[in-house]
Amino acid sequence: MRAVSAACLAAASLALSARSEASSPAVDYAVHCQGCHLRDGSETPGRVPALAGSLARFARVPGGRAYLVRVPGVAQSPLDDAALAALLNWVLLRFDPGGVPADFSPYSAEEVGRLRRLPLSDVAGARRRLMDEVSPAPRP
Amino acid sequence: MENPEGRIDRWLERRARLLARRTSRRSFLTRLAAVVLGSAAFPLLPVARAGGTAARAPAPDEAGLKGEAADPTSCQYWRHCAIDGLLCSCCGGTQNACPPGTEMSRVTWIGTCRHPADGKDYIISYNDCCGKSFCGRCQCNRNEGEKPVYVTPKNNDIVWCFGTKSTAYNCSTAIVLGIATEG
Repeated sequence: MRAVSAACLAAASLALSARSEASSPAVDYAVHCQGCHLRDGSETPGRVPALAGSLARFARVPGGRAYLVRVPGVAQSPLDDAALAALLNWVLLRFDPGGVPADFSPYSAEEVGRLRRLPLSDVAGARRRLMDEVSPAPRP
Repeated sequence: MENPEGRIDRWLERRARLLARRTSRRSFLTRLAAVVLGSAAFPLLPVARAGGTAARAPAPDEAGLKGEAADPTSCQYWRHCAIDGLLCSCCGGTQNACPPGTEMSRVTWIGTCRHPADGKDYIISYNDCCGKSFCGRCQCNRNEGEKPVYVTPKNNDIVWCFGTKSTAYNCSTAIVLGIATEG
């Protein structure tokens, strides 16, 4: 199940590989993300985590901002750095506008290009550690 | 003795006046409109469709298409450029709706296909229908743009029946989500 989930996270799917026409974050979201994350960014319980009302939590903890770029579905997408930066900014503001920190600075193409080249070898572990930061587990 | 026809006349007159008092042309029109609009809305009602219809763009006109590109039961149907599966159009459903007794998966493989008449690219969602065993008819594997499994973001060797009650795969739809090209 985790394998399917990870595959799905990565499997934002695409059929037309060399699209020359101008694109937009909304179209890129539909083509690359929506297959799993759905039009409204809601979760599929146990399979696909919610973006809506949830995603910007990552932007508020150390390492979270980088994680959102390094997670395989994002880092390995066929989009170029500029389109990917625009898509990330769009997704954050579209699905979790209330959670975006006031001092949030949008991703730049340069930042995305740098971060997506840092492989995340233990995705599930990285996510778990970040989630602990976001909502610390009660300790005895 | 009273003429029986007169009695019938009076009875009919009473009924007619009662009817006229209790109803109006306007209420008749209201009811007629409800029936007409209800009939028009009926096809929207019961079958499983992907994620609500509100925000979906209308499908492009297919009336001008000819041959297999216009045939939803053909692998060459224009929307099937990226499909990998059995066509619901051959399995008791349509290109937009699941066969009775199956549930449409919300998570889905998405592709873009060029409409042969208007030359624009459309975003197509190949929602799987789940809950019954393999339909077995009209298997298509065009998968344009798909990459080997080691390029996971662009590989389609996934049964998308997760998040549904049953993971049994029956067939695939091909729903137009919107237009992918701009300007």
